[in-house]
Amino acid sequence: MPRTRRVRLAVAVTATLLIVGPFAWLWQDSRLPRQYSIMSMGYADHGGGAPGHHDGHDGHGGRDITTLVTDRDRPADVAVTLTARQERFRLASGRTVDGYTLNGASPGPTITARAGQLVEVRLVNDNVRAGITLHWHGVDVPNAEDGVAGVTQDAVRPGAEHVYRFVAPAPGTFWYHSHQVSHEQVARGLFGALVVLPPDPPAVDVVALTHVYDGVRTINGDSRDLRVAAGPGTVVRVRLINSDNGPTSAWVAGAPYRVVAVDGTEVHGPTPVADTSLLVTAGGRADLEITMPDRGSPVRVQVGGGLSVVLGSGEPPRVAQPAKVLDLLGYGTPAALGFDPGAADRTFRYEIGRRPGFVAGRPGMFWTINGHLYPDVPMYTVAEGDVVRMTVVNTSGEVHPMHLHGHHAVVLSRDGVTATGSPWWFDSLNVGDGERYEIAFVADNPGVWADHCHNLKHAADGLVAHLMYAGYTTPFLLGAATGNSPE
Amino acid sequence: MRTVYKVLAYVIAAEVVVQAMMIAWAVAGLGAWVDGGGVFDKSVMESEQVPFTEVAGIIVHGINGGLLIPVLALLLLISSFFAKVPGGIRFGGLVLALVAVQMTLGYAGHGLPLAGLLHGGNALLLFTAALYTARRVGREAVPAEPASLAARV
Repeated sequence: MPRTRRVRLAVAVTATLLIVGPFAWLWQDSRLPRQYSIMSMGYADHGGGAPGHHDGHDGHGGRDITTLVTDRDRPADVAVTLTARQERFRLASGRTVDGYTLNGASPGPTITARAGQLVEVRLVNDNVRAGITLHWHGVDVPNAEDGVAGVTQDAVRPGAEHVYRFVAPAPGTFWYHSHQVSHEQVARGLFGALVVLPPDPPAVDVVALTHVYDGVRTINGDSRDLRVAAGPGTVVRVRLINSDNGPTSAWVAGAPYRVVAVDGTEVHGPTPVADTSLLVTAGGRADLEITMPDRGSPVRVQVGGGLSVVLGSGEPPRVAQPAKVLDLLGYGTPAALGFDPGAADRTFRYEIGRRPGFVAGRPGMFWTINGHLYPDVPMYTVAEGDVVRMTVVNTSGEVHPMHLHGHHAVVLSRDGVTATGSPWWFDSLNVGDGERYEIAFVADNPGVWADHCHNLKHAADGLVAHLMYAGYTTPFLLGAATGNSPE
Repeated sequence: MRTVYKVLAYVIAAEVVVQAMMIAWAVAGLGAWVDGGGVFDKSVMESEQVPFTEVAGIIVHGINGGLLIPVLALLLLISSFFAKVPGGIRFGGLVLALVAVQMTLGYAGHGLPLAGLLHGGNALLLFTAALYTARRVGREAVPAEPASLAARV
């Protein structure tokens, strides 16, 4: 081989390696261990507060979160057994879906309780091969009852069972769903509604749990309108629950409505609105109160455009989505928060971006948190009692419904505009592209809590961080070898 | 290796055609589905299952554009190191750069629809560049092994 030819070949091979090398390195670097603890994931972000002596970020030391349970000696007031099956099932409207059921149906049964009652749910896994859990979305349960596989428990294998116990919080609308392979199990049916009734429930109280099965929107598992009898002058509460991966809009034709609760928390001083659309983000809830017109005409609550809750008798007209959107930032009247967000002990930033790279050995365009790809994401570390402020910024090009487990946070401002209405408490926040929210909460529920996107496919692609209390540790492990895969 | 280089460039040009066909097919299917009473919103868009067949066009467009075409463009550049096509590396690099621009515009279009407009235009630039890259191979007669030429490239 002539020398020039050899040199040329060497240059070509070197150039190839210069291109392929970095890709290979990024690929191998992104691969996850066969098993790992959430405690060892990413890097600690103390938000300007003290690191704490028993930090536990290295996976050692601290109080075991399995001790964070509801009083074991207290008898249950509401006892429910839910049996999960992986099967082909028929929706109420007759359509067949290949997915998951609880007690033979999807959605699973609505669990109803009164504030302060102890709810005990026995979850039995009949045949779901990947294992299951139940997460109580919006209920600030003790950490060990949170139902996140690999973080607060092991996934419940086929033939096994797990008991969840928690005290029903203040009246409100909540839901429950699997937090094991959730992007698959929730989309295909493993969820249901949870309602904590007020002491004096309205005359007509309707749960409208909307879900898209195989591209078809349903309300309570039925792809036809939900018809509810309601006489003239009757006060109706419609509990909208969005169990999907994307935000949906609802609007009312035929009467004004008030948004009386958001994410299970009462709105203070809600005023009637008309010709106004309301956005309910993925995982979020909104309770609408409607007083039926005295003249006896029916009312249509449109959910996502194609489907409605029809109140009263008759066929109220469909209307196009109103251009005006209700802004919760200025809705209702102010009230005391119960803490001072100005005196924050920790200040965090949760900035969502997007870039090409590898996550768990897979190439693609992935979501980043503060510029980092999963699992190299921040571990937001707090101490019990801290007042926490967080800036949530989305520069990723797509909407993200952000869900913090175990806590309700309050919106302080959006894009620099201060909140002027009722305290906007939430557990699921619609953070649109280009938006920036300032939020605050009190760290009053110790443990290890997921803080993730409730577009569950995004969470499965790594848009998940955790809030960790100093001095606590979890014995559970994630990864292929453990069978725990929360997202 | 010249053949590999040439075929890769042709395949990239063909892939641009496939991309245009796929997205037009999906939009047509969406129109027909909405016309039949279907409601398309974010939840349906994020749903695992397809509400109408033509959604497959969006899925193929995503896999092709997000993964397959960038890999083909990288392979084209790598093959150009070995192919001894005069100016081949330059054109391989150009195709890769246009693919990078195309991807950036495509993803940016999710939040900034104007980028989608440019995405459509850049597609034709990429198609032309890939086609020209393929067609210019062999047009200039390359002597068997002139050391002087090899050293120049």
